[in-house]
Amino acid sequence: MCSVGGPMDVELAERLKGKKYRCNDCGTTFEAVGKHPVCPSCQSENVTLV
Amino acid sequence: MRYDLKEGNLLLKGKNSFILIGRAKRLFILFIETFEKELCQTVREDDLIAVSAPEGGDPRQAFMLLELIREYNMPVMVLPKGHPGSGRLNMVVSAGPEIIPGCGIMRGTHPEQNVICASEEFSGFSFYSDGGFVRIESGLLGRVADNSGMNIDIVRIPDSELRY
Repeated sequence: MCSVGGPMDVELAERLKGKKYRCNDCGTTFEAVGKHPVCPSCQSENVTLV
Repeated sequence: MRYDLKEGNLLLKGKNSFILIGRAKRLFILFIETFEKELCQTVREDDLIAVSAPEGGDPRQAFMLLELIREYNMPVMVLPKGHPGSGRLNMVVSAGPEIIPGCGIMRGTHPEQNVICASEEFSGFSFYSDGGFVRIESGLLGRVADNSGMNIDIVRIPDSELRY
């Protein structure tokens, strides 16, 4: 299994666009991609960009 | 062109390759694992999950991959550039509200989920979630896939027909 995307000539490190969030309900910090981050531990949408 | 995904999946068959598209069905978190970090992507019930087989193969295998993501929330792996395993991936997966097939990319080496490795047959296509439907567009002068002249067969297949 894999995830794919982006042109071949771009290094992987440059393509990472995750943002770090902290869950305001359980305190978990995580990195997410996309517009609607949800805490991976408690599924709360009450998260803050850190 | 819009196709209803509530009752099954959509198989887009080219001459030598295919893409299977299903609906996520429920909200879950897709974990994307790289060698350095873990990324979380929220997948919503109407988002698309696409499995691409750039050299063709058995659609039932693609359905298994789709189900591993959709039903069992298996994480996806991102390989570093030049990894020998990249060439062994005959099917790859992508999820999100929009999915764009890309031909000039190396399998398994990128974490972005809106682009999926596909054969040249799907160049110019794009897939969008549209309230339980998938909207297929072709980049060829903005025409829809059915009129693109790309000889892509589009078949609706229920889950039951794709299970062993």
